[in-house]
Amino acid sequence: MSETISTEAFQVLLDRAGISVKPEHMDEMRSAYMLLQAMRERVRKPRGYDAEPAHIFAPAGR
Amino acid sequence: MTSDLTLLTIREASTLIAERKLSPVELTKACIARTQALDATLITYVAFTPELALEAAEAAEVEIGTSGPRGPMHGIPVGLKDIYDTAGVATTAHSNLLKSRVPTEDAFTVTKLRESGAVITGKLGTFEFAIGGPSFDLFTPPARNPWDPARTTGGSSSGSGAAVAAGMVLGATGSDTGGSIRSPSSLCGLAGIKPTYGLLSRRGILPLSQSLDHAGPMCWTVEDAALMLQAMAGHDPLDPACADVAVPDFTEKLDETVKGKTIGVIRHFHETDHQAAPPVLAAIEQAIAVYTSLGCVIKAVTLPPLMDFAAVGLIIMSSEAFAIHEADQRATPELYGEIARDRISMGGLLTGADYVQALRRRQELCAAVAEAMIGVDVLLTAGSPFPAQPIDKVPKWLMYQKPSITMPFNVTGLPALALCAGYEPGTGLPVAIQLVGHPFAETTVFQLGHAYEQATQWRATRPALLAA
Repeated sequence: MSETISTEAFQVLLDRAGISVKPEHMDEMRSAYMLLQAMRERVRKPRGYDAEPAHIFAPAGR
Repeated sequence: MTSDLTLLTIREASTLIAERKLSPVELTKACIARTQALDATLITYVAFTPELALEAAEAAEVEIGTSGPRGPMHGIPVGLKDIYDTAGVATTAHSNLLKSRVPTEDAFTVTKLRESGAVITGKLGTFEFAIGGPSFDLFTPPARNPWDPARTTGGSSSGSGAAVAAGMVLGATGSDTGGSIRSPSSLCGLAGIKPTYGLLSRRGILPLSQSLDHAGPMCWTVEDAALMLQAMAGHDPLDPACADVAVPDFTEKLDETVKGKTIGVIRHFHETDHQAAPPVLAAIEQAIAVYTSLGCVIKAVTLPPLMDFAAVGLIIMSSEAFAIHEADQRATPELYGEIARDRISMGGLLTGADYVQALRRRQELCAAVAEAMIGVDVLLTAGSPFPAQPIDKVPKWLMYQKPSITMPFNVTGLPALALCAGYEPGTGLPVAIQLVGHPFAETTVFQLGHAYEQATQWRATRPALLAA
């Protein structure tokens, strides 16, 4: 994982999402995005094709 | 028992009301006076409705006088976080986006509270849409902590935390998507429970993230939280996530011995994964000593890393929140405060695969916690890793930088209670522990929380501000 994302690459992501960021917030948003990127990697574990998502939490007794 | 009516617990007040020794009108007037004296400092309400409260209190007084109280909440002043819909009274999520929104129906839990006879005093401030705060660019500033008004209340149920700690109300509603009941309860010295996912209806509560959102009460004591939860609970067939389960008497075990109960301490959560501040660590060790003295069995429990829960929770929350706000984020971003806008917008940078991978990891984490809880009655860790921070120095991206110690129990849906465990030497700021139970085992969580409160003296101390 690279330690940062370029302003240009980040702008592509923003454009795709259809959202705007104030110029004065751009650097902090890029930094936060890199922390989010680490979380995206963290939730990816080796698992089989059949690993189910938790569509709805179903506690015992429900 | 205190002579200051606003410092009565719900249990104390309801007992006096039932004995006709306390008038709901006098109690409500005392809470209104307390609010008028302190709200310029604490900024708890976004919509204070004393006239409506007095009308409800007068009606309660007449009914109680003729046929007795409906239950322990009858005539008790409570506030509502301003994401709970109230018919005819604005519900804004503390956002300019919804500043003039007036619902036509009450939230299901608000209906339940009204049916219990509770006196609703108004709408309490929140982090914007339960995610953005403390913010100084909304239509009113953020609530301040009664233990030190220069400090944050925590969030997102910020006004609820401040109002209960200051005696403006005897209880308040909160909502909790990643810790928004337990954080302000911890930082304001309260007992607040995020019940099992599905126990309380979410209908009529503005959503942040539907699969993580929980409603719940915030009160001065654990017993009060049990009483208020009782009034809010009940199956709502119109909320697809609301479980059709029997609602137990949440106070039924409060006076039973806790001897022999097993407490699983998740040390790695507060000692290494998100290292808590020294006074919090000391409070946890003192709590363990208290439970040991009460005859509990203490056991070490290891769960997956805290950051795994935080990552799952943050990805799911951000994705669901962005889906809710996508149109408004694109069309009118200027109507959001900076913090809510920027935090919500991060969800737009995630992919569908990110969301599903987080859901798959969620399934694995739920299974891991269920296995670790075999033979354990409750888990114990910190309620918050730190006491209240200066209100202007709360990091905007804290949940990204440090794993949330409350999020694991939103991800797993387990009932989690934050309760006061002392005060930081020097500052006097509250510190808190967190007790976590099995699904729908709120009675056991309350039992152990109440036993701790009864064995300690923390509930005898109120903010110094109230004596001024």
